[in-house]
Amino acid sequence: MEKSEITERTIKVTCEVLNVTPDMVTPESDFVFDLGAESTQSVQLVAAFDEEFDINMDAEDALEVQTVGNAIEFIEKYVNK
Amino acid sequence: MSNTTKYSVETIPGGYPRDRIFNPVSVAVMGVTPTPGTVPYDIFYNILASGYKGVLYPVAPGKRSISSVPAYRYLTDIEDDIDLAVIVFPSNVVARALRQCGEKGVKGVIIISAGFREVGPEGEKREQEIKDICAEYDISLVGPNCLGVVNTDPKIMLNASFARKMPAKGRIAFLSQSGALCTAVLDYARNRNIGFSKFVSFGNKAGVTEMGLLDYLHQDEQTDVVLLYLEELRDGRALIETARRVTRGDNPKPILAIKSGRTPQGADAASSHTGSLAGEDAICEAVFAEAGIIRLNTIEELFDTAIMLTNQPMPKGNRLAIVTNAGGPGVMATDAAVDVGLEIPRFEQATTDKLTGALPAAANVKNPVDVIGDARSDRYEAAVGAVMDDPNVDQALVILTPQSMTDIEEIARGIVKVHEQTDKPMACSFIGAADVAVGVDILQAAHIPHYIMPEWACGAMADVQRIRRWRELPDEADYQPPSADRDAAAAIIDAAPAGYLDEDQAMTVLKAYGFPVSGYKLCRDADEAAEFAEKNGFPAVLRVVSPQIIHKFDIKGVALDLKDADAVRSAYNEMFSHIGQAMPEAEIKGALVRGMIPSGREVILGAKYDSAFGPTLMFGLGGLFVEIFRDVTFALAPITPSAASRMVRQVRAFKLLEGARGTGPADVDSVEECLLRLGRLAFDFERIAELDINPLIVGPDGQGSSVADVRIRLSE
Repeated sequence: MEKSEITERTIKVTCEVLNVTPDMVTPESDFVFDLGAESTQSVQLVAAFDEEFDINMDAEDALEVQTVGNAIEFIEKYVNK
Repeated sequence: MSNTTKYSVETIPGGYPRDRIFNPVSVAVMGVTPTPGTVPYDIFYNILASGYKGVLYPVAPGKRSISSVPAYRYLTDIEDDIDLAVIVFPSNVVARALRQCGEKGVKGVIIISAGFREVGPEGEKREQEIKDICAEYDISLVGPNCLGVVNTDPKIMLNASFARKMPAKGRIAFLSQSGALCTAVLDYARNRNIGFSKFVSFGNKAGVTEMGLLDYLHQDEQTDVVLLYLEELRDGRALIETARRVTRGDNPKPILAIKSGRTPQGADAASSHTGSLAGEDAICEAVFAEAGIIRLNTIEELFDTAIMLTNQPMPKGNRLAIVTNAGGPGVMATDAAVDVGLEIPRFEQATTDKLTGALPAAANVKNPVDVIGDARSDRYEAAVGAVMDDPNVDQALVILTPQSMTDIEEIARGIVKVHEQTDKPMACSFIGAADVAVGVDILQAAHIPHYIMPEWACGAMADVQRIRRWRELPDEADYQPPSADRDAAAAIIDAAPAGYLDEDQAMTVLKAYGFPVSGYKLCRDADEAAEFAEKNGFPAVLRVVSPQIIHKFDIKGVALDLKDADAVRSAYNEMFSHIGQAMPEAEIKGALVRGMIPSGREVILGAKYDSAFGPTLMFGLGGLFVEIFRDVTFALAPITPSAASRMVRQVRAFKLLEGARGTGPADVDSVEECLLRLGRLAFDFERIAELDINPLIVGPDGQGSSVADVRIRLSE
């Protein structure tokens, strides 16, 4: 899958789960500091990414990811395995 | 910013900007979430619900509002100036939030979040980062890893904490290193109708420490007493300096403290008495004693004493009158009072006459006054009034047990009436619970401290006496330490390698610092020893000098009571013949020849360099008292005369120095003088890792003391 598609779909899922608008989300956005993710929402995000990309990420490692850009790279590794 | 009155920093000597923490005009909570029951939400809600008088801003990325208050994505989006930011973000983004505070010019910050020094190396790095940011932007920081801050001042009404309820207003400030304890204390205090002026959980102390807070509260007009809960004491010397400023002088405020973690021994391996006895807790005890901080063991004791201090005037002395309607509790109270050092005085004849006139013949009109079980309010009022008027009485304790004819309410009202007419402190103990509750309410409404048990009242009154005596100690700011020839001592210490000094070197160091060291000489053969002993006087003592021989008696390296030159010669030859066989590897430098010191009472003086506290001193009586009973006292060096006096008088065996069982008093002054000299020596030379003067032989009063043996171990 192309990185641009992963980026687009990652941002879409982020907006849905965190209830934010796409203009707020950039690769540098920190899920907590910039987008207001609560701890339960972080868990929801990991589940939503798994579903969106039909992957099964290591939850512990996934929860360490802080920014949208890092999430895109993390997901890319699973999608293009 | 609006022109709302700011309780400006200029009102606080030293220019502390911490008014931004306790008295902020505007507060932003950073990292608020909309989920009730979580710390990020509850902190915000508690400020809102406490009736905060300033302006509150939630910083909640991605949220339009929190509890109907418009929310901001970033702190920097807020147009108004912000005095105080409360950060509740997770620890991994706290630094970013803090940097925004700096960029916006926020000078007061509370970091509630955990995940710093307390979680290990990664957290330590995070904590260092926030310290650096605070230094860069001149931010006063409370926390991290804390419960928050409460100010009950009606002008502010700030509950920036996750305590469940705003505490009642009162005159007690509570500072705690433990957040969890804070919530428990708040709940406990509410149940006892105790209010607070300020409530601070300072967590990891990455910014503001207990010292800064104590200085602040010293100037705080809302606070009369400070309660302190500490888990670690990082800078004992700074605490002493600050607490002395707070607890003495023109505006003295008592500090009552609990220091948890009474650990057994320090971890440092130690070969001396001082080294093995100077555990962390013993040093803490010494720090508190020198700081004038009253150390207590339980939260209950803390509040027992605090309510006495905040509700009653300081008594002029330690004389206590007891009035009771029950003989047993009266005797128990008398025992408890005497145990804690209160005096049960005799009344003036006029008082006895008044009591005789007002009470039935069966009553006891002596102290403790027993108004008899059937007493009603008239008897109580007359008896309490009479004893409070007695010039021999400094304070009173009124005890009541509920009998069928006891008119509890009226008695309480009568006591309140007497209380209003006296300037002496008073406490009550209405023993029981349900029946006496109505009386207790009346007493507490009139600010008369009440204790369920009279012994507890006595404990609180005794603590008040400790505070009174502390305030009455002379000011020692101008005290000049004893003179010393530092250069002479430095010539030995600076040149010596790590390890033990030879005894003659150690004696020379003590002599340079003015210790009572009698004539001595290191002699290298039997003839030299005999010749010196002839000059120095008999009986003489020989002591082997060898860096390998620390315990001289064990290897027959000491010969005592040598009456003439021949005895010295033969003792010398025998000693070295024996040591040569028993310890052939020992490097023998000779024998120290001295005069025999007349017998006296033996005490131990010690010094130890502690990695956290610096040079510390120890005092104890020799033999069993130190080794078995660990009956020793400590202080941080250098010391003042009052600290020397405390060290000597607080050992339980002090009576043996005062004189007991037919012996007269020993020369305590000379012991105190030696402690002052030891304090200066230990302070002057950080390389002195351990020093034991064991024993110092103390002669009868006025005849001085003499160093019998000394060991000094130097560090690298």
